[in-house]
Amino acid sequence: MPLIELDDFSFKYYGAETLALKKIALTIEEGEYVVITGPSGCGKTTLCRTINALVPQFHRGYIAGNVIIDGKNTRENTVAELSSIAGLVFQEPENQLVTLNVEKEIAFGPENLGVEPTEIRRRVEELIELLDLEHLREKHPHEMSGGEQQRVAMAATLALKPKILVADEPTSNLDPRSAEIILDIISDLNKRNMTVLLVEHRLDLVSKDASRVVLMDKGSIVADGPPREILSQDICQEIGVGVPKATLLYKRLKAHGIDLSSVPLTGDELAGLVKEAS
Amino acid sequence: MHALDPRAKLLLSIVLAVISMLFLEIFPLLIILAVLIPLIAAAKSLRRWLRSMKGLSVLLIFILIFNTLLSTYPNPLNYSIALVLRLVALMTSFSSFFLTVQPDELSQALIQMRVRFEFAFAMSMAMRYVPTLGQEAYAIMDTQKARGVELDKGNLLTRIRNIVPIIVPLIIVSIRRALSIAESMESRGFGASKNRTYMDKLSFRKRDWAVCCLSLAMLILVIYIRLYIPLPDWSIPF
Amino acid sequence: MIMMEDVSFAYDGLYTALQGVSLQIDDAERIAIMGANGAGKTTLVKHLNGLLRPNSGRIIFDGVDAKHYSVAELAREIGLVMQNPDHQLFLDSVEKEVVFGLKQLGFSEDEIKERTKRTLSSLGIEDLSERSPFTLSGGERKRVALASVLATEPRVLALDEPTIGQDARQKENLADMLMKLNKKGRTVIVVTHDIEFVIEHFPRTIAMANGSIIADGPTSAVLSNDEVIRKCSLTAPQLTQTARSLHTLFPDVPERLTLLSELEDEIVRVLGGA
Repeated sequence: MPLIELDDFSFKYYGAETLALKKIALTIEEGEYVVITGPSGCGKTTLCRTINALVPQFHRGYIAGNVIIDGKNTRENTVAELSSIAGLVFQEPENQLVTLNVEKEIAFGPENLGVEPTEIRRRVEELIELLDLEHLREKHPHEMSGGEQQRVAMAATLALKPKILVADEPTSNLDPRSAEIILDIISDLNKRNMTVLLVEHRLDLVSKDASRVVLMDKGSIVADGPPREILSQDICQEIGVGVPKATLLYKRLKAHGIDLSSVPLTGDELAGLVKEAS
Repeated sequence: MHALDPRAKLLLSIVLAVISMLFLEIFPLLIILAVLIPLIAAAKSLRRWLRSMKGLSVLLIFILIFNTLLSTYPNPLNYSIALVLRLVALMTSFSSFFLTVQPDELSQALIQMRVRFEFAFAMSMAMRYVPTLGQEAYAIMDTQKARGVELDKGNLLTRIRNIVPIIVPLIIVSIRRALSIAESMESRGFGASKNRTYMDKLSFRKRDWAVCCLSLAMLILVIYIRLYIPLPDWSIPF
Repeated sequence: MIMMEDVSFAYDGLYTALQGVSLQIDDAERIAIMGANGAGKTTLVKHLNGLLRPNSGRIIFDGVDAKHYSVAELAREIGLVMQNPDHQLFLDSVEKEVVFGLKQLGFSEDEIKERTKRTLSSLGIEDLSERSPFTLSGGERKRVALASVLATEPRVLALDEPTIGQDARQKENLADMLMKLNKKGRTVIVVTHDIEFVIEHFPRTIAMANGSIIADGPTSAVLSNDEVIRKCSLTAPQLTQTARSLHTLFPDVPERLTLLSELEDEIVRVLGGA
């Protein structure tokens, strides 16, 4: 049974004129690293929120179809029940840190679920080490940079020990170096078998680590497959998705009649392929 | 002082405040202050206390002057000074609590005193977001100033009207932020379980019990003195 | 046109945000200001329209010291679009927002009508003119905030992080609009982390670190300097990395910063044409 299954799921927010999600059919197995991308308004943010039942439990609206996460139907389970299965990291770091220091923030989730105090303390220590937060331990959110805040937010989400990590544009508000650090952490987690759903515009940073790219446009999935296959298709340009420059070059070279042996996602790969072709 | 359980500190502060209220003569109030100020000093909060007293000083001088002039008491200056001292003692008693208790300690103390988690948490969240909101307000002011809104010009009516471009975005932005925060909290199980646990609990140690006993003993003693022992009249002849 | 002479500034007299900053900005320039968070980029831009005044040094507009002008007066010449459009929007229709900005700067009724119409259509939001900004999407709100400043047609348009959260097409549209403005002789300044956006559209880059300018010149030179990249918390764009990788394998491919079309031509050349 797949870990995540969206079965012809449609959703319209109360008061909206159009469907945010139109008959989405998506299956994700454990251990996958799926990047979801598409132009603004395509429904990727709504999709993220279906994974932990924020849609439809918190964001109410009209639904059709089902979303089954680890065997649980999101129509019937609360967000709290799903919080230890799917953890959500959001775009704005400031709005995810609600307490006055890092320890309390990481403890917040487990405390809510009634986890035993010594176990909470153990998880806090483990995550502080894992995400290199020792020097931030006693700091107030205001005293941290955006990148540091986002790391704390991730630790706070991981404290619930979810199987799935959903990240909705977690690097948008960060400088490029901090963004890389966060994406490395996510990639690392995936290598340890965390299932990852990442919404990201900057495909040049993530496509090399992803196992799958899902393209969305106007509430529907328009493409779904391995990065090299999807990003070299014309549909990307048509809907206005920013493809990695190396991949763009591959296509331009094709137009010149130069056929490289595979689709590159990074500069290194492209250089290697050019060498091969020479 | 800092190391005490906030609940013990709370009891101590209340006792000191009550004691301050029991007297309206200069001498006993001076004694009370002589106890309070070293307490604040011991808590290394002397400078902050002085700053708050400075802020209060205008009010205190006002009370002193007007009470002396308008009072029908037999010894108006005496009475006014006593009134001022009592006010200082009262404020200092409560200051000794707030200057030495961290917001999350306070929150935890409230929870362990059976205040509902949601309320205690709302309080600590408010404190957490105050600086953020402050920054947001400044950013909004900058943005509108950059469009030519002049916030410091014009008569009272104009200035009030110019608050609208500041207040409306601030409210909207705060509501949006609140929704975003709610999503994050909800995603981490907020409100899920009636049996919420706490990683760090407060517990009374010997010194906390000692402080409590001492406070109560002090209270009883002072009440006894007030009721049964006549105090010499140390008033300034005026 | 605008000159900053040895400007220093500290917040609350304590936190030094700018140290000895000197630069010159002329008409019809396109400049990107880059740097790590806290490097002083936004502080610098806020000095351009008088929101902040220097502790030492001067800022000169067309020969006159800026201290003689109020923020409102400078707002006529320098339009600053801040990062968060929600900090600006407070009226109940898009049209009123644009009108407000124009009214504040004292334009006549007729001018206001004409400019509002023109600006809204140039940004593609004329059919949203009766809508309440609060009901619009993030990208639309950004365009409304931009319209409100753009309508005043300032000589210098400065934007703080305009590309955050924008998809590829929105960025293209923004770039087009900025180019159009620039062709009319206006200067466009952008404060951003988006290195690819800068390389493609901004010929001059000012790099800052710790309150000082560490580089100021042609973008291709400034941003191919590894030291600058490091100090500004940036990462080399994919095209540069590609150029470098190609250079190690084909030493005659130049290693410097390139545009997509340049790299394309180089590769075609290396592989001996089609």
